[in-house]
Amino acid sequence: MRIFVVDNGGQWTHREWRVLKYLDVDTEIIPNTTPLEELDVDGLILSGGAPRIGEEALMLGNSGDYLDKADFPIMGICVGAQFMALHFGGEAGPAEIPEFGKTTVTIEEENELFKGVTSPFQVWESHNDEVKVLPDSFKNFARSDNCAHQAFAHKEKPFYGVQFHPEVEHTEFGEDIFKNFLDICASWKK
Amino acid sequence: MFDPEKFVNKAIEDLKEAISGTAVIACSGGVDSTVAAVLVARAIGDRLYGVHVDTGYMRKNESEDVAELLRDMGVNLQVAIAGEEFSEALKGAVEPEAKRKAIGHTFIRIFERYAKEIDAKYLVQGTIAPDWIESGGDLRDVIKSHHNVGALPEDMDMSLVEPLRDLYKDEVRKVGRYLGISIAEKQPFPGPGLAIRIIGEATLEKAEIVREACFIVEDELEKAAEAGKMEIPWQYFAVLTSAKTVGVQGDVRAYGHTVAVRAVQSIDGMTAAYSKVPHEVLEKISIRITNTMPGKINRVVYDITNKPPGTIEWE
Repeated sequence: MRIFVVDNGGQWTHREWRVLKYLDVDTEIIPNTTPLEELDVDGLILSGGAPRIGEEALMLGNSGDYLDKADFPIMGICVGAQFMALHFGGEAGPAEIPEFGKTTVTIEEENELFKGVTSPFQVWESHNDEVKVLPDSFKNFARSDNCAHQAFAHKEKPFYGVQFHPEVEHTEFGEDIFKNFLDICASWKK
Repeated sequence: MFDPEKFVNKAIEDLKEAISGTAVIACSGGVDSTVAAVLVARAIGDRLYGVHVDTGYMRKNESEDVAELLRDMGVNLQVAIAGEEFSEALKGAVEPEAKRKAIGHTFIRIFERYAKEIDAKYLVQGTIAPDWIESGGDLRDVIKSHHNVGALPEDMDMSLVEPLRDLYKDEVRKVGRYLGISIAEKQPFPGPGLAIRIIGEATLEKAEIVREACFIVEDELEKAAEAGKMEIPWQYFAVLTSAKTVGVQGDVRAYGHTVAVRAVQSIDGMTAAYSKVPHEVLEKISIRITNTMPGKINRVVYDITNKPPGTIEWE
């Protein structure tokens, strides 16, 4: 299984790489300017990062191209998830109440990405922006007190977005969420 | 999972290839640089020369203990006493990034002088992942310039060798245990040392105060953990804040500094939760600090911030 991490300048981008490596995935951190044609992968992670989704979405490089043309699953994390929603016609911008550190997430609807995760669960966050309006092509399946869109998925394509950070040690079920994403990539490959 | 044996074998192979001639290693005596020293020594043997810098901002007895430990492990070690040089570089520096850069530059100048003496072209550092991640670059924001990455002078003329660059502290400890290093469990202590545990200008007088406060925090928490009252935190120390407050000591007015106690639970330093230290232990720390440091400290507070939003150290 080969899954690359697209670096959007996150503090925890390298943690995503570490979690994948621990799960025996063939993984690399790549710049977000890498052309899609150079990627021979079974899945992609769009990392979080410092760019603000409102003014600096262009700093996310070729992420739009990956979402338009990928024939493999993609999981966006934090700004990666916000970008995904924005790209498919949703809205994202400054959160009324940003979340930093420990937060409780409630699952609203079952989803293959959260298989085995019990609700509510504790996650670690670090975001100033959030998804305001989800595109029609997506469904939301988790929330927190201050952020309605903590996890969402495309209704037809294997694209997933999470606002919190499953890659850090303090997030409960973080590794399970990555394992579920690997399962999604494996079944897509078939 | 992480396999220390595989890592060590590969690292030694890479190091043999990367280093020709002699190399200097910057040994703070912490887990990272000690593990790096042993690893590089396995690769290039006595072509490796260690330098430990006593910056004047080290913890109680630290430099003496470190020198003894490293020499016991067979590291060819030189100790540079540089308190004056560092305090001079820090004079007037108040902003945390300015302090970190002053410290980083001073370290490198000392290493360069030493490297010149032995004609070494390489500087080995125990840099780990959080150091370069937090130091920023390109898209990544600068959280803090680590002395060994973001605070390096632009004109340094040695090649860097950093065998632990992709590891986090928990993985470095695994490598340390595999290599039989006794201090593999030691708590992290940042390179800039006590200078970044003093908010504002880090004078040597203030370093003296925070050194004693750090010693008390370490001593009390270690005793409490040994007595089974709590788990030993991942990192624990005191910060000398810039707040001065009013107190009453011996029926007279006191006006002294505030010390903040910090203790966190973490695995890799990239996220952290504040430690739930029992109140009786915190109280003991508070009483011991204020009673043994009268005229200096008359207030003690406990930091209940996680990372994020805070960082572990205050600067």
